[in-house]
Amino acid sequence: MGIEIFYFLIFPGLLFSGIIGGLISWADRKITARVQFRKGPPILQPLYDFVKLLAKETIIPLRGSVTTFILAPVFALFGAVISAVFILLPVLGIETGFAGDIIVIIYLLNIPSFTYIIGALASGNPLAAVGASREMKLILSYEMPFLLVLISIIIKSGMTIRLSEIVAYQAANGAFIGSLSGIIGFIAIMMCIQAKMGLVPFDMAEGEGEICDGIIIEFSGSILAFFKLTKYIMFFALPALVAGLFFGGLSLSGINILWSVLKVLAVVLLITLVRNTNPRVRIEQAMKFFWIWMNLFAVISIVLALMGL
Amino acid sequence: MTDFQLLIMMPMLVGVVIFVIPDSMKIIKGLIALIVTAVTLYLSIIVFRLPSGAEAGLYSLQSIFLPVIDKFMMLKVDGLSRLIVLFIGLFGFLYAIYSISYLDRSQTSKGSVKAKIPPYYYSYYLITLGASFGVALADNLLLFVALWGLLGLTLYKLIKGHDDESSATGKKTLILIGASDSILIMGIGLIYISARTFNMSEISLFTNTKIANIAFLSLLIASFTKAGAFPFHTWIPDYAKDAPASTSAFLPASLDKLLGIYFLARICTGLFHLTQWATLLLLIIGSVTIIAAVMMALIQHNYKKLLGYHSISQVGYMITGLALGTPLGIAAGLFHLVNNAIYKGGLFLTSGSVEKRTGKEELGELGGLSKFMPLTFIAALVFALSISGIPPFNGFYSKWMIYTGIIQFGTGTGIANKLWMVWLTLALIGSALTLASFVKLISGIYLGRRNEQLGEVKEVSFLMWFPQSVLAVLCVLFGIFAYNWVIPGLIGFTHVGNANTFPGLWPAQAVSILILVSIIVGFIIYWVGTLKTRRVSDSFIGGEKLQEELSYSSLEFYKTIGTFKLFGFFYEKAKRKWFDIYHLGKEFVLGLNSMLSWCHTGILSTYLMWMILGIAAMLVILIV
Repeated sequence: MGIEIFYFLIFPGLLFSGIIGGLISWADRKITARVQFRKGPPILQPLYDFVKLLAKETIIPLRGSVTTFILAPVFALFGAVISAVFILLPVLGIETGFAGDIIVIIYLLNIPSFTYIIGALASGNPLAAVGASREMKLILSYEMPFLLVLISIIIKSGMTIRLSEIVAYQAANGAFIGSLSGIIGFIAIMMCIQAKMGLVPFDMAEGEGEICDGIIIEFSGSILAFFKLTKYIMFFALPALVAGLFFGGLSLSGINILWSVLKVLAVVLLITLVRNTNPRVRIEQAMKFFWIWMNLFAVISIVLALMGL
Repeated sequence: MTDFQLLIMMPMLVGVVIFVIPDSMKIIKGLIALIVTAVTLYLSIIVFRLPSGAEAGLYSLQSIFLPVIDKFMMLKVDGLSRLIVLFIGLFGFLYAIYSISYLDRSQTSKGSVKAKIPPYYYSYYLITLGASFGVALADNLLLFVALWGLLGLTLYKLIKGHDDESSATGKKTLILIGASDSILIMGIGLIYISARTFNMSEISLFTNTKIANIAFLSLLIASFTKAGAFPFHTWIPDYAKDAPASTSAFLPASLDKLLGIYFLARICTGLFHLTQWATLLLLIIGSVTIIAAVMMALIQHNYKKLLGYHSISQVGYMITGLALGTPLGIAAGLFHLVNNAIYKGGLFLTSGSVEKRTGKEELGELGGLSKFMPLTFIAALVFALSISGIPPFNGFYSKWMIYTGIIQFGTGTGIANKLWMVWLTLALIGSALTLASFVKLISGIYLGRRNEQLGEVKEVSFLMWFPQSVLAVLCVLFGIFAYNWVIPGLIGFTHVGNANTFPGLWPAQAVSILILVSIIVGFIIYWVGTLKTRRVSDSFIGGEKLQEELSYSSLEFYKTIGTFKLFGFFYEKAKRKWFDIYHLGKEFVLGLNSMLSWCHTGILSTYLMWMILGIAAMLVILIV
């Protein structure tokens, strides 16, 4: 049991993915700043943010379900860390009992969004309810293309649903990004990840201009600190998942570290560029985008994968 | 009397005897029912522990009066039937506890609950219980169909026609169930023609002849109507809305599911050998049921009707699991059946508690009850998370088994195997939609702002929250200990989640410990942080003052979905009951009627004309 708790709290769980996620978040903000001709924050800024929020006053909504409101961010953090563990162990090639069942990962990745919805609704704020409703509809939109891309990966890797075997298959037969179906699937999954992270153009659940940060409007102080930490970890876990599914996984030995960093950074760079060059779309536009276009992409990817391309 | 006679006959006999006690002495009847169900629970545990080999499992329900009919009274205990018996016993007991308080008038109850309680509730309750045990144990198809028919009748008697709508619902239920029962009898007749026996343990037909195919379809229709699969599901949402919550939990949510899917499992694994086309048909029905019902659930405003649609949608998963025909798929389907009965029964109980305390049935009239009914809220949340398949609850485990089963099934060569990605996608999307509609349910009833018109709301009494809590605890335990104890112990299937032989891996126990760890970590972070010095303040809504019309109702959540042309089209057709087989049947019969009434005008000259035309036609036929 001790080893599982170590995985969960230290490596590659809370501590490790929290730190790396913080660094990625810094990289994201730095790139954004450079795109906008600003100087950007110092490298420790994510840490400052987190510590500062812990010290700030926490405001509890007067007319809401307080216990649910306070507990929701804890479960969100749990969801993020456990998905990071399930993704990172197989992607890094560490042999454990957590072989990274893809279906389990799909479900675990939804826990953070879902708990934020519950937390937002528990606050009793109407703007938070608008945000929650949008977040839920967004989940419904990106869930299907995300799954379809994973199906195409399952087909390509010879009907295995274990992430560790998918990574091993790519080590033997070349990374999936090198094939036509891989490229199309990659485009679709990147869009899904953009929505999963709640980044522009799919940040309508937060929409700071129109609904004052919507889903997180009532979060403050320590509760908001959880939200930040969860975002950091997701910012590492999701690119790592893409690296595992399309780039043949990561490695922490010798020169491979450099390659691993580059793989993750490439994904992060794409996410950051998309978020800096697009306006926010409306929720029904996002739904249409995923249901029609991204599903189409994913289905083409499946068909190509069945043809062996 | 043997254990079997006691198990089946005693509840039915007691049920008949307590007809003589007037309904004003409900408490006494309730206590009698409680004692009887406690005894049957004990007996069902005994039956569960009986040896269940192929040969050892046959027993006779010896008749006391007519030894001649003994051969029609054969019972069989195997792994499948003892599982069903155990859970019938458990649910019978828990819902009997709940009913005592739910039916009690002296408890503060508001609004419509009182009007919904049918007369002779406990009599029909006990008869249902005994007949259900009989159905699950019967080996002879004649005994089976007799008790199965009795269940349809008690189902009808357990809903009270207190207004036009509920009377129509009762009639609809009776007609749909009755029609499916007559189709079942026809199917059994056809089976006898092919197999020359009524004993299920001796029947093993291939679906390659015409008669066998028709028999297969007839039995399928009976099981689908009982369990509620598309397109024979339409009685369930109405029944869930108009019947008392304890009845909805007892029959459509638990017993009818257990028995309907039990029969389906018998059909798929014993009575018939499925061809690949039959598998394809079952998988299509399963997937359509999942998606169609959950899409309807998404737009419901009445929370009991919403639950009714979900109890249909979940049947789709069970059908999918059983249709796979692999050991993993069958185990998954049966485990999902058990799990669904637990959390769906629990959801109906919690909805009954809310209805009892508030008297409201619409989501829009409720809200913010989590503070006032904390135990009911926690139970409902656990059930909602289970049904939505959030790890590590039981619903996730069985759904995950089904998904893994589908992927494993995909390595086969049949037509249905090749389409594995379709089944997987629809099942997973159905699960996401389930989550969406339960977000609506939980937030509409328990979270958000309290509706000021509700007045004082109290937590329900011990007799009502105890069964809810037992079921909620079962949801958690079944999820966490599924691999080590629950699945091997209940279903007798051991390989799932095995690191070497099965495709997936889900370490439920380790993850559950990690959840505890993360709660501790969460409290440490809160402790380090500023939660101690918190300030309570009203919501911030962009500087506006909060007014009633500003509140955003959870009912509006999924309106956007209806604006899409495709979904809008289906919703509009569903509103006009295009997918309701009962409605279509009614229209058809009434259409025939109007044709007949067009002939029967009552005008003599018209009749005379018909006669002359008839004679002319006969002459022509005779001459030619």
